[in-house]
Amino acid sequence: MRKGALKKKQRQLEELHLDRREALGELVLGMFVQGNWDDSLLARGAAEVSEVETELKSLAAGDLREPDSAAHDFPATGEYTAEHPYPVTGEYTAEHALPATGEHTAEHALPAAAAKASEKKVPDRKAESKKAEVNPDKTASPAIVPAPVPPSASTPTPVSPTAATPSVPAKPAAEAKPVPVPKPTTSPDATPMADPRPAGSTPVVPAAEAAKEAVPELSPLDKLAAELEATESKAKAATEAAKASATADSKTELSAITREVESDRKKLDDALKAAAASIELANRKASDAESKLARESAASRQAATEWVRNQAAEIEADAALAAEIAPKTEAPAPPPPGSASVEPDAATAAKIASLEANLAAEKAAKAEAISNAESRLKAIEASARQAEDRVAAAEKAAATGAAAVAAENDEPKSPKQSATTEAEAREAAVTWLRGQISALKAELSKDASTSAPAAEPRDGGS
Amino acid sequence: MGLFSRDGQSGRERRAMKDHLDELDELRRTSLGELGEMTVGMANEGSFDRRALSEKATQVVSIDREADLIARGLEEGLTLEELEDLARREDEPGTDPGASSTSRRS
Repeated sequence: MRKGALKKKQRQLEELHLDRREALGELVLGMFVQGNWDDSLLARGAAEVSEVETELKSLAAGDLREPDSAAHDFPATGEYTAEHPYPVTGEYTAEHALPATGEHTAEHALPAAAAKASEKKVPDRKAESKKAEVNPDKTASPAIVPAPVPPSASTPTPVSPTAATPSVPAKPAAEAKPVPVPKPTTSPDATPMADPRPAGSTPVVPAAEAAKEAVPELSPLDKLAAELEATESKAKAATEAAKASATADSKTELSAITREVESDRKKLDDALKAAAASIELANRKASDAESKLARESAASRQAATEWVRNQAAEIEADAALAAEIAPKTEAPAPPPPGSASVEPDAATAAKIASLEANLAAEKAAKAEAISNAESRLKAIEASARQAEDRVAAAEKAAATGAAAVAAENDEPKSPKQSATTEAEAREAAVTWLRGQISALKAELSKDASTSAPAAEPRDGGS
Repeated sequence: MGLFSRDGQSGRERRAMKDHLDELDELRRTSLGELGEMTVGMANEGSFDRRALSEKATQVVSIDREADLIARGLEEGLTLEELEDLARREDEPGTDPGASSTSRRS
């Protein structure tokens, strides 16, 4: 066995040893958790670990000296595996039996160096086996006769006599019964020319016996090798699965972060939209209130002006009536010439006097009413001016509020907070508007109350 | 806003928890190996000292508990403080094995 192969095997054995130790630890842990101790099971697990330890030690010891096939339960012929390259002679072992037909498969691929020799050898072997079958009496050797065993990987098949030759005359040599073997009739290139062993000096073992010996001796090692390969493949699969899971995990995390960012952005957009809508609504309400206020103030002003005009017209009409009456009373028509002078009647004079007194009182009342109306008009104008000032102040406040809302929207603000602010602003605007309306109503009622007493004396006088 | 955080847990905490989980896994494997080695030694001597085996197994159980706690923290997005609280709460009524598992971390 090569040194590299030995090291590889040693490494695999070490891994197996670790695995078994961990498995034994798991077993102890399970017993501890369940509180159910089983000494025989523990002893069995420990024996398995010890077995691997022993193999590891023997392998380490074998690594120091020349590889000994007998020490490693190798068959006398020397086994061939992927890690045990085929000898140049194309030596055949029971472990990697070629079919009787000499068929070569990829599974038992020979190294390039030995390929040429084996290509030549396989037909020879076939020919020899055929020859042996055809002429069994001539050969008269049990080694050549194919044994009727089921075909398997560890089943030996008839091979050339050279292949049955043990590579090392060790333990099998002592057990081997030398039997007469027919000399190979193959061509010289099929002979073991690269085999350093002398062909005649080696004891020959019958193939059937060699197979009998090889099968039980090789099987634990084969099992171990298979187990090691299985462990290695499992470890590889686990590593790949871990890599895949790590990749999937990072992808999942990235997608979760992306989803969070998107949802946050969506929330922010929604909040901005809500804030813009509330600002627009507040602006519309403010403009509505402003226009309503302007309409009401204009209507009240117009009504006041109309009332004052009516009052003035009435006063003028009364004055004209008084002027008409006055010449009649003050300067009575002169008596026609030639007639006797007529003294005014006392009743008429009294009536005239009373009329004059009434007229004077009415004039005084009208003048007072006019002065009152003028002062009232001035007050209304002043209040209208005040209302205009308030409207201007409200406009200014609304503009300031909109700027503040815009500034707040620049910063991230929670939708709940913005909704609260908006509700407060709306409430303040409604309160202010209610105050304006009540003030206007009060003004209008005042106007009505002042106009009513002014009209009463006029009605009563006429 | 905490765009890169999951619930209250920061990315740094998450990474630290993952690293710690790996360390715990490695520690568990080592402890199990030691436990197996101890068992082999006892088998060679011909008698099993259950008390010694139980002590070693207790260590492994505490490692398992801590690993479970960290895994839960990772899964539920808990911060380190929340994890400490959870560990304390779990330890309060606790009986034996992982009583000192969290104190080792701090």
